[in-house]
Amino acid sequence: MTSTPSALVTTTLPRPTSRATRFRRREGWVVAVAFLLVALMFWRYTQIPTFGAFEIRTITAGTMTIALLAMAQAVIVISGGVDLSVGAVMVLANCVAARLMEGASGAQVALITVGVLLMAMAVSGIVGLIIVLSGVPDIVVTLAASFTLAGLALIVLDGPGGGTNTTFQKIFVGGFAQPIPSILWLAGVLLLVWVPFKRSRLGLATHAIGSDRSAAFLSGINVARTRVIAYVVGGFFSGMAGVVTTAFTGSGEPRASIGATATLTSVAAVVLGGVALTGGSGSLVGPSLAAFCLALIPALMLGLGWDPNYAEVSRGVIIIVVVMIGGLLQAKRQAA
Amino acid sequence: MSTVAIDRVERRDWRQTLVQRPAIALSVALLVLYGITGTQTPSLFTANGVRSTLLLACPLAVLAASQTLCMLSGGIDLSTAMTANFAAYIAANQSGRGALGALALAVLAGLAVGTINGIGVGVFKVNPLIMTLGMSSVLLGVITVGLVGDGFLSGSTRLLPLVKTVGSGTLGGPFPTNLLVWAVVAAAMIFGLSRTGLGRAIYAVGDNPLACRLAGVRIWQILLAVYVLSALLAGLAGLLFSGISGSVGPDQTNGYLLPSVAAAVIGGTSILGGFGGYTGTILGALILTVLNRLLLTLDTSEAFRQILYGLIVLALAWVYVRVTGQKSRGGG
Repeated sequence: MTSTPSALVTTTLPRPTSRATRFRRREGWVVAVAFLLVALMFWRYTQIPTFGAFEIRTITAGTMTIALLAMAQAVIVISGGVDLSVGAVMVLANCVAARLMEGASGAQVALITVGVLLMAMAVSGIVGLIIVLSGVPDIVVTLAASFTLAGLALIVLDGPGGGTNTTFQKIFVGGFAQPIPSILWLAGVLLLVWVPFKRSRLGLATHAIGSDRSAAFLSGINVARTRVIAYVVGGFFSGMAGVVTTAFTGSGEPRASIGATATLTSVAAVVLGGVALTGGSGSLVGPSLAAFCLALIPALMLGLGWDPNYAEVSRGVIIIVVVMIGGLLQAKRQAA
Repeated sequence: MSTVAIDRVERRDWRQTLVQRPAIALSVALLVLYGITGTQTPSLFTANGVRSTLLLACPLAVLAASQTLCMLSGGIDLSTAMTANFAAYIAANQSGRGALGALALAVLAGLAVGTINGIGVGVFKVNPLIMTLGMSSVLLGVITVGLVGDGFLSGSTRLLPLVKTVGSGTLGGPFPTNLLVWAVVAAAMIFGLSRTGLGRAIYAVGDNPLACRLAGVRIWQILLAVYVLSALLAGLAGLLFSGISGSVGPDQTNGYLLPSVAAAVIGGTSILGGFGGYTGTILGALILTVLNRLLLTLDTSEAFRQILYGLIVLALAWVYVRVTGQKSRGGG
């Protein structure tokens, strides 16, 4: 405390960052992923002779489920957790919806959709509640839950089956050459669910507990409640993914491996989408863009005349390389 | 409320005993479960029943050993099931080269997987969950690509006679041959973790990596060693799995990933690192094997078995955390 006040001021005041710098720091990764997606799309465009509405619809409608699942995972990762049961919730929602919707009328289908979404939110909320109440690490709880939920899906539907309403299919994934509905749904979910959530006190609290749980607790946030709510919101997105699967395939498929693979892809999309696995940062836009990038890989390899089986290898390699670069960048930033 | 206070002190006493000696509670749980299962299938009380339990528990316990190592260092290895499968495939496919050559190639495969995982986690500081998930995806693709057409894994998949004998033979009485392998792994794990420098360093890194670094521990070397050992153990488990079933298949070991994590968690190893050991994991693997047997004898559908399995694993983990007071970071 011997130094003069003026010396203190000149040495400790940080330089204000410009708007551009702040934008680059906050959204730089998402912008990069968006550019990557555009580049991949262009590549695919050069590969096939006619790149029309039908081709776009194939990509958008087929990837919607993974994008929604990536959003589910992203909300939970932002809150500082991880959910290895998102895929199982999706499969369960898919089976329940397909079983109930078989031969149902328009109004009934709408009611069933709402019911399935509520069910998915409840199921995911219960998983979150168990994590908070038991103190068992989230990885263990959600892994165990993925088993139980896959079993429930098998009880609902003991094999591929069920059905749905064609109008319902058109509303969610569009007709044969109609990419607009799927894009609208994704954008709608982002704008109408994520943006208000992020701007609300709850969204702020979710980011806060993911960033530093003790600090959040000391600033008066109800950590337990916020964690459970993050899982409920995640459940909404997983349920949406299940409903969209029903609309896309027109049936239910209770195979557990579908859920497991989808869960892995959702984690990959979250990491590629710039959401730190340590929690507290990121948004849902990056992961949903990353989901499209990941989904384009098999199509591109097919276009190159490669064995599409290499897609699984390349997906893994891409994930590893991207996170390694991310790790290096972070290490450099810390060293600087 | 003085009575409450006294009660608390006493409770902390037996709690502390349980925390320090998780083997006690786990042994009791195992015996009770074994008894219950025995009432359903009396053959469990014969030498053959014990043998079949040990035979099935062995590969799971070896796979869980690799998980225990990773969890103690504060990580997790989700690629073990795929590494196991990969090693088993290579050993079976190359069995024409003779036992030594085929096993050497399988070990080499494990070494390669472990080194990449270790470099990713240790040097590049990639989150272990992502690193091993990505590796699992790569291995799945490699196996799929290798199997189609004239890929490098296509052709004969005859098991090595050695793998078959060790994997499914009997030493005599209730002891399967693979118990020998398990005993060696268990001895190495328990001795290595408690008495060697590397073992203590694994605990230390899992407990507090920052303090380790400040104390001069080269963390990346420890993590590299952990993931290489983990992949080698996983490869060994894969060979044992193929020995039991007498064949290899692309999905053979996939279903054992959750049980291997669960065995370590039930055995009292903290998924956050720095706490636990292999003794508990052994008991965890035995408990899960007996549990599986019980669910099979209950004559229920596959769906119901899955539901029960998930619930029981969760309940066991919950009870364990409650009893020992070991909690995840800032829970609630």
